[in-house]
Amino acid sequence: MSDRTSTISIVTRTPPIAVHRARRAKPVSVASPRRGAHTLLSSVILAAVGILFLIPLLWIAFASFDGDPTVSMRLPETWTLDNYAKVMTWQLTWQPLLNSIAISLGTAVITVVVGVLAAYPLSRYRMRFQRSFMYGILFGTGLPITAMMVPVYALFVSLKLLDSTWGVIVFMAATSLPMAIWMLKNFMDSVPISLEEAAWVDGASSMQALRRIVLPLMRPGLAVVFIFVFTGAWGNFFVPFVLLFTAEKFPAAVSIFNFFGQYGSIAYGQLAAYSVLYATPMILLYVIVQRLSGGAFALAGSVKG
Amino acid sequence: MTAVAPRGTVARGRGPAPRPRPAGRTLTRLLPLLPAVLLLAAFMLGPIVYSLYGSLTDRAMTGPRAANPQFIGLDNYAELFASADFWNSLWLTVVFILASAVIGQNVLGMALAVLLRSSVKPLRSIVGGLVVLAWVLPEIVAAFALYAFFSTDGTLNVMLGWLGLEGTSWLYSFPLATVIIANIWRGTAFSMMVYNAALAEVPPELTEAATIDGAGAWQRFTRVTLPVIRRSISTNLLLTTLQTLGVFTLIWVMTGGGPGTQSSTLPVLAYQEAFKFAQLGYGTAIATVTLLIGAAFSVVYIRILKPEVD
Amino acid sequence: MNRTRTVLGLVGVVTLTAALAGCSGGEGEANEGAIRVAYQKTATFTAMDELMHTAKKEYEAANPGRTVELVPIEAEQDQYFTKLALMNGSPDTAPDVIYEDTFQIRSDAAAGYLQPIDDYLADWDGWELYDEGSRQAGLGDDGKTYGVSLGTDTRGLYYNKDVFEAAGLPTDWAPKSWDDILDAARTIKKASPDVVPMNIYASNVLGEATSMQGFEMLLYGTEDELLDTDSNAWVTGSKGFLDALGFYETLAKEDLGPDPAAALDANWGTKVSTELLPAGGLGIALDGSWLPSQWIEGENEWPEWHDTLGFAAMPTQDGGGDGFTSMSGGWTLAMGANADDPQAAFDFIAQALTPENALFYHQEAGQIAVRSDVAENQEYLDYNASFEFFSSLVPYTHFRPATPDYSQISSNIPVATEAVFTGQATPAEAQEQYDSALVGIVGEENTQAG
Repeated sequence: MSDRTSTISIVTRTPPIAVHRARRAKPVSVASPRRGAHTLLSSVILAAVGILFLIPLLWIAFASFDGDPTVSMRLPETWTLDNYAKVMTWQLTWQPLLNSIAISLGTAVITVVVGVLAAYPLSRYRMRFQRSFMYGILFGTGLPITAMMVPVYALFVSLKLLDSTWGVIVFMAATSLPMAIWMLKNFMDSVPISLEEAAWVDGASSMQALRRIVLPLMRPGLAVVFIFVFTGAWGNFFVPFVLLFTAEKFPAAVSIFNFFGQYGSIAYGQLAAYSVLYATPMILLYVIVQRLSGGAFALAGSVKG
Repeated sequence: MTAVAPRGTVARGRGPAPRPRPAGRTLTRLLPLLPAVLLLAAFMLGPIVYSLYGSLTDRAMTGPRAANPQFIGLDNYAELFASADFWNSLWLTVVFILASAVIGQNVLGMALAVLLRSSVKPLRSIVGGLVVLAWVLPEIVAAFALYAFFSTDGTLNVMLGWLGLEGTSWLYSFPLATVIIANIWRGTAFSMMVYNAALAEVPPELTEAATIDGAGAWQRFTRVTLPVIRRSISTNLLLTTLQTLGVFTLIWVMTGGGPGTQSSTLPVLAYQEAFKFAQLGYGTAIATVTLLIGAAFSVVYIRILKPEVD
Repeated sequence: MNRTRTVLGLVGVVTLTAALAGCSGGEGEANEGAIRVAYQKTATFTAMDELMHTAKKEYEAANPGRTVELVPIEAEQDQYFTKLALMNGSPDTAPDVIYEDTFQIRSDAAAGYLQPIDDYLADWDGWELYDEGSRQAGLGDDGKTYGVSLGTDTRGLYYNKDVFEAAGLPTDWAPKSWDDILDAARTIKKASPDVVPMNIYASNVLGEATSMQGFEMLLYGTEDELLDTDSNAWVTGSKGFLDALGFYETLAKEDLGPDPAAALDANWGTKVSTELLPAGGLGIALDGSWLPSQWIEGENEWPEWHDTLGFAAMPTQDGGGDGFTSMSGGWTLAMGANADDPQAAFDFIAQALTPENALFYHQEAGQIAVRSDVAENQEYLDYNASFEFFSSLVPYTHFRPATPDYSQISSNIPVATEAVFTGQATPAEAQEQYDSALVGIVGEENTQAG
């Protein structure tokens, strides 16, 4: 659905051993003097690339505090919080943000609950259709959801789900499911089955075993999936843009687009301030995921060489 | 993730024995799959089936054909394949994917991964963090940032002015180039992280051996490193291709697909034809073609890379 | 049972989400039986929003227990049409009362989105105030009435007297042909290189504004039209069409128009009326009669507008025919086909069109009066000094083809103008593309070579 979620598929395809490997694998220095020059050159190039990535970001940051913002990046002459004060109204910011929370939370909860239920039999039993099902799931992760929005609109007409927050939630949950099932199954695979067998001997049902034994052991994995689905829904603009009509139901992504459409070329500072407010939760959640999954680039994991 | 045990210790694939109820057992076991199957059937399969069907009608958003759409067979596809706009859009999509994903994100991502490994520590975290930040931002915010960057009075032209160069209206004169760069800016982090992890897995003994054999840095990279991580490369190429095929918001916000149709990739064209020009059936045909392209890539991905599924 | 607990847990979580979604879910589900009213609202167009709020308050006070749910759609015109079409696609989301452009009425009526209101009009004492033209504007193909007019408009030339003076042009300018306009633009360009000599809408993103304020103002000043009214066939390959596109080409080639990069922005219309004209950055503007309403008071107030701007009627191509031309459209309040309680929906429309409300809206939205009570009201006549000029264009005015497929055909006109204006196509190529799109919509049999 979004590129963020796809990362995980790579991660979970292989065990997290790669992370430890990465720390150990600092190459042994072979030719020290040349290495120094090499490091310097690399660092200079890297810094240059870093600046190119920084500039568009800085525009948002500076413009949001600028009393007289322009469309080009510059240090504000007068620093002010006016832009934030102006956009922080119920209609413009708070209600859309609350809607974003409701939509993202609903999507993430449904996806994780349904995903866990589905992942369990896929992980624990060998079934005849399992391979084809998993290939189907994998196939689903590759489909361009944006290309589907025209038929989805038509489908929602017949399902009477247009302009319904729930409609948006279940649709986004369904489209996140393939990736979520794939990830959750892989997380679940790494929980030893022997623990459950003990529980079964004590007469627990499989669902009890799942809840009492498996889920607690894969809590970080659950959190990672939850957050990734959550942020995917948070950042999604196209789905609610096509399916919702009432301003009171718009998530922040749609509300900020409408603001841009009307005032985009006039109120840069407010647009930037609004962008900051809208993007911050996503950045925070990403940091949490990093903590949960252990370190800088662990999330990307490794693709088997 | 670090908390979970390595997969090697897991005894998998063996159904638990202690339930001697063979008759109802399969059904009970399948029951938890039901919600997922229902959701997927309704909202993934549903639109796909609807897409195939809807593309065979002349349904419109307004006018008599909204009230009474007719089944018109393959007429939409005939019209589509005879339309210069469609081929133009398909071509733009191919260029967009090749330039921004296959070349841009992958090459830059690889370069960054290599540079990160050979640069000084604080710089490494800062630049890595910046690249990732561009990727973590909501797509629409990233689109605003780059829209401003490329605007006529935007940062790029101001910076060119410092160098004594005259800028131009980038979004207007080079719309496809601007959205390509925007997509590279936004998406490179993914490739960078994948390659960073892949490079970490290259056994140092291999490169050392090559050094002793007198191979230069470039030779070591092309002869040793690249072959070792080729699987990461092909996976990443396919994943970035699939992601880029679906890009809509970035283009929609920055150029709206224009001027004219100069940056209308397939998802943008489908939206315009269906909703702006009110030709729902025709727009659905474009959506179907896009879905088929995505499906083809998805199948290639599965066939070539054969990810483990059990 | 163990499974029961899992299920209970699941239900709990979902309920929590439902509660969260519910608290911010808006009035949609809450107001069963409410009258849903959809209309447009933008940074420069707030008159409708004010009118609807007033009407809602008055209606709810007069009908205790009844509620009106306002659904303002915050989008520029073209996106407003798209959103409206999306809403109308399903009976559940279709509004009960719709702020509807007259050119959409026939197609939306044919699509089954609207319902006739003749029976209600018969009992409404306001209906006799409306003139014949405005009654016609609300008709569907079946001869039934689907919308009540909110006023009409005309289009003409605005010119900045300061810019004209600086260029040595007369401040009582009265062009007699397209060439007169182009000559004035050339003179301005020479005298003040920083000023945009002339604006005519050309971009695809502005949709119907480009078709009507731009292209059709040219085309209907030639000897050709879009639809041959005698044979009821759509015209392909006409000389007038080609010449109108040629006008765009001349502007672009000689650099007499705005920078295409700026003019292609969705906010270009707003920019013209709130920035360029007041700042003296534009010499001539071909635009609609409603512009001055936003300068009279409010955020975009510009008290000097009347002294700074001059008005001129749009000449025909070479001064032939009546000498001048104009286009008229206008908007209506229409009733959705799925209104639960049509009588209530109509009562709301009537409430929005009381003499006081109609007067308010005509003034605030800069509408040319279509009702005798407003037209004769001295307060209305004094309110806006441009009313007199734009009303004087009515004898020259044209209407868009009133057919169900006009809106779809019209959406192909801006494609042509943008292609020519940005140099992507010659007028002949753009015309060819329009013709083939036209044939695709109406079929070969309904066209004739011009």
